[in-house]
Amino acid sequence: MDLRDLREASDAALVVAIGRWRQEALAEAYRRHAGAVFALSRRLLRDAALAEEVVQEVFLRLWHAPDRFDPERGSLRSYLLAQTHGRTVDLLRSETSRRQREERDARATAEAGYDLEHEVLDLSVAEHVRHAVAQLTSDERRAIELAYFGGHTYREVAALLDQPEGTVKSRIRAGLRRMRTTLADVGIAGAPWPLR
Amino acid sequence: MATPLNHAAIEELLGAYALDAVDDDERDAVERHLAECPRCRAEVTEHREVAALLANAGLPAPDGLWDRLAGVLDAPPPQLALARIAPVRPRRRAVLGWAAAAAAAAVIAVLGVTAVDQNRRLNDTQAALRQNGLLRAALAASTSTGARHAELASPDGRVLASAVLLRDGTGFLVRDDLTPLPADRTYQLWGIIGGDKISLGLLGRHPGVVAFRAAGDVAGFAVTAERAGGAVAPTGTPVIAGAVRSA
Repeated sequence: MDLRDLREASDAALVVAIGRWRQEALAEAYRRHAGAVFALSRRLLRDAALAEEVVQEVFLRLWHAPDRFDPERGSLRSYLLAQTHGRTVDLLRSETSRRQREERDARATAEAGYDLEHEVLDLSVAEHVRHAVAQLTSDERRAIELAYFGGHTYREVAALLDQPEGTVKSRIRAGLRRMRTTLADVGIAGAPWPLR
Repeated sequence: MATPLNHAAIEELLGAYALDAVDDDERDAVERHLAECPRCRAEVTEHREVAALLANAGLPAPDGLWDRLAGVLDAPPPQLALARIAPVRPRRRAVLGWAAAAAAAAVIAVLGVTAVDQNRRLNDTQAALRQNGLLRAALAASTSTGARHAELASPDGRVLASAVLLRDGTGFLVRDDLTPLPADRTYQLWGIIGGDKISLGLLGRHPGVVAFRAAGDVAGFAVTAERAGGAVAPTGTPVIAGAVRSA
């Protein structure tokens, strides 16, 4: 696989090449996804230097253990972003400023709330994602925002919103499923697994 | 130990779990369930795909970061010298297997730990690792309060890897010298917890530093070579194994 092929290679093919210690394959994966990884981590941490550490860690992990990514279980981007989110949340939760953060987020929620739509900048899918977000109830939307972009557990979200924990837990799941359905309708995501 | 949750209770948690929005004990319960339930795994995958679309802000990565990352890739994997235990007689090591990995805990507890210039070694190592986040995390872990260590040795007694385990269950495995496997094989890490062998994750065919999480009281670690997808239970004897020393 030469460099031009790498540019056109699927993510799964890149990961195979990474498994063969092809550094230029990692570079291509980085070119495709590092921006999103960095943006998500910085969004949560509000600290560019720490977010850069997370980017390094996520791509080093891909380099050292590429077979942890299973192409049958989602895209490379969602795999990398899930790793990013998990690592970022670990950092956030280990901070001593946790309480300050909760107070700040409570204030932000009380004032204007997060603006989920503005997180989505990729124009090719932005409109559809915006539409999917718009299908959420405001309660579902706030619960998902605080959990995903605030890095809070659902129990913390429940406390912040003064709602029952079980309700928040259900809203997060129901909201994610509704977005999935909406996005599947326009061909951006596969149809959701049916609920029993 | 987490309260056992039934299938319906686990399902209710899947959305929050996919967003890393559950408590540690709930996460452990979900992950135990996911190991056995393809349907719930599929749901988590879907939630993460949706979340990835939300996060899809296409900003460029910061300048210079790739160069730093590439610089780390070029460096040979450093030999991370976590504290070595006092040497165990070869004959003891020779019998190291599943039972021995757990039983060796008692032997090693008696022998104790020799704190051989640990700080100096860590300083030396640290210099070599300035840019490697995961290794740095492993290093920080190895010196943090309450961290416990394990040396993983081959049946012939060669120590080929070190592990460090934090109180919260976060752990790092640092490879010294495992032979790379063919492309269709992977190393898999097991924790010996309450007498059971619990999978702590796939390490890949040529592991570097790997982070993992363990729930419960880990008596020892073992690494086996498995088919690329991993195994539900170990299919062979450990390539390396070792007991966790008390803090």
